[in-house]
Amino acid sequence: MNWKKLLKMAGVVSLALVIAIIPLLGAGCAKEEEKTLKVGFSICYTGVAAEKGRPMGNAKLDCMKYINEELGGVAEYQIEVIWRDNQYDAAKAATIINELINAGCLLFTTNSSKMMMASAEIANRAEFPGFAVFSAPVLTNPPQHIYAQMPDYGDDWAAFAKYYLENIWQGEGRPKMVLHLLDNPTGYGARDAALVLADELGIDIVATEEHTATTISEIESLTRINALNPDILYISSTPQPTSIIVQNAVELGMYPGITIGCGHASFTSVLVELAGADTEGVYGVYPTVNWGDDVPAMAKMTEYCLEYHPDDYGNMDYITSWAEGLVVAEILRLAIENVGVDNLTPQAVEEYGFKKLDNFDVGGLHGPVSYTPGDNRLSKSVRVFQILDSEIVPITGWVEAPLIPYEFD
Amino acid sequence: MGLPAGTRNYNYAQDMAIFRTKTHWALLLALFVILFTAPLYCGNYWLSVANLIGITIIAATGLNILTGYCGQLSIGHAGFIAVGAYTSAVITNRLELPFLVGLICAGLTAGLIGMIFGIPSLRVKGFYLAISTIAAQFIIIWVINHWTSVTGGFMGISVPPASIGGITFISQSSQFYLIMVITVLVVFLAKNLARTRAGRAFIAIRDNDLAAQVMGINLFRYKLIAFFIGCFLAGIAGSLLAHWIGFMNAENFTLMDSILYIGMIIIGGLGTTTGPIFGVIFIRMLQQGITFIAPWLEDIFTLPAGFTTGIGPMVFGLAIVLFLILEPRGLAHRWQLFKASYRLWPFSY
Repeated sequence: MNWKKLLKMAGVVSLALVIAIIPLLGAGCAKEEEKTLKVGFSICYTGVAAEKGRPMGNAKLDCMKYINEELGGVAEYQIEVIWRDNQYDAAKAATIINELINAGCLLFTTNSSKMMMASAEIANRAEFPGFAVFSAPVLTNPPQHIYAQMPDYGDDWAAFAKYYLENIWQGEGRPKMVLHLLDNPTGYGARDAALVLADELGIDIVATEEHTATTISEIESLTRINALNPDILYISSTPQPTSIIVQNAVELGMYPGITIGCGHASFTSVLVELAGADTEGVYGVYPTVNWGDDVPAMAKMTEYCLEYHPDDYGNMDYITSWAEGLVVAEILRLAIENVGVDNLTPQAVEEYGFKKLDNFDVGGLHGPVSYTPGDNRLSKSVRVFQILDSEIVPITGWVEAPLIPYEFD
Repeated sequence: MGLPAGTRNYNYAQDMAIFRTKTHWALLLALFVILFTAPLYCGNYWLSVANLIGITIIAATGLNILTGYCGQLSIGHAGFIAVGAYTSAVITNRLELPFLVGLICAGLTAGLIGMIFGIPSLRVKGFYLAISTIAAQFIIIWVINHWTSVTGGFMGISVPPASIGGITFISQSSQFYLIMVITVLVVFLAKNLARTRAGRAFIAIRDNDLAAQVMGINLFRYKLIAFFIGCFLAGIAGSLLAHWIGFMNAENFTLMDSILYIGMIIIGGLGTTTGPIFGVIFIRMLQQGITFIAPWLEDIFTLPAGFTTGIGPMVFGLAIVLFLILEPRGLAHRWQLFKASYRLWPFSY
């Protein structure tokens, strides 16, 4: 027998031994399982939405760390997080939601409406409750097992339109608005609300333009818009394309001159970083407080952010998802209080956690969180902000966003 | 087909047989037993991964017929999958027709639209044809996004679960059987297609279209047939994808997906039946592996949250580059080498 053959045989035997020993090692090393509360996070850490997904993912994982290490978990049970990077890919999100169901998670969350859309049908069929931090109206209409942490993109439009009419519009007749929308539910969620409410509020939607998440110039669409001489340009998008639109509007001399308003997915510190001084005076709707505001949860959140993810400081998406972590913990706390930890199932968590939320205060980070039958939006309040001296400054208190009577197929 | 030493074909049937020896049949049987009993020992998650792999194999097989066998490069494959997905969604949701009608119409519609975009293939080839198929990707997605009354536009359209003869495929395991049966049929069809008159014409066109034309092969006809078959399978995959996810949005069909499909058939091995299977399994498992490895590494090394997420794109890019350098003929070629080595073992020649 030559040495090569001997080596091959030794290799095969070693491999067989390793395979055989793995279960034994697993059994021998296994410690007594402690009861944990499993939750699943489908995060767009990479991919085209990473500019938002990354700070949000960081925040929710930091918040879980805070809850487990400083608060001792929920009702003395540690939260076990199963998080996966969905890469903003629908097929991947579909496998992830199956994994989370299979892993015995009690609930799940996603950052974006697109990822929730890819997960929602599977979750609804399995009666597996979850909520999207940012959501489009179609996710919660009609209400099933999917919830929205905050008001949706349509609510942003409605809140901004009302604010504009009450506080900015001084002309005669009906103001002319143009919608500049991201080519996905983030953008078209705002259009859905405009279709339902614009006429009733007294606003003329004179044009609807769309852009992609990777746009590098909107000069062409803005030239068309300029010809219509609108009073308001409303952008429902993410920070990067919004920064392009704002900069192009300045280049064309449209802005300052018209009023620019943004939905909450556009309106973070990243917008100011990207477009700089061009954003001065731009309005935006956002459902949380701002960094440095005097609210109870601010100090701890800031401490964690500065310690673990200092680059995210100033990014409002971090606030949103820190609040998401607090909402997850409260849902679990309510469910344990109502049915006991041994009876926790996704269905019990929905019935006795989600549906028992009643004016829960997320440390003042956003509006109170309540469940209202027929309305799967958990928080229903937004605030209007304005960029002044490169700072995002709140200019209103909490504005209630009423349920818009959508009629989806 | 390579056969073990001493096995000879004495008639045409034996010569044409795909499964020629008892070992072949035993392996096929074992494969089917393992495959179709998978729902008994695989959880929801792995079944969903298998479902995604099955759907992707169907689409990649279509692209392989078009690109691997016939040599017509298409960078709009995700667009053709979208046509199938939306056709099936509209037929089953808006028209409330049975799933099977949706499935067949999805294939036919995608095939016909593929033929339309394949018309330029008579005049242009290679890089130029690739550019014209990119146009298909953009035009199809634009139409889906703006034909709101039918497709739901940017908000998308919900898709009911597949249902055949009163059996509704809701669970991952039931969908697994549906998807796998269709996948097996498609692979069988692709294997046989390559041995038909059309298949041989495709290969002749791929290898030298001028020589093929001189031999009497109608280039236009066969190129369009290749587009039809390739896009028909894309449509079937799209239909299954739509009913599997349950909600369709045009954002699910990006140019990156089209490029990924090309990557899959290159890694697997162009112009082979097993190539798309290997390529799809490799890429999809790599994607799944990365989603597991990132959180695991952070736990083990107590890294800050999100620290490891960059490894996904890096590993994926590296894998494609390494394959192109080290094994341009793909995993199917490795498989052939393994089989040859196995048959000759313990003799090296």
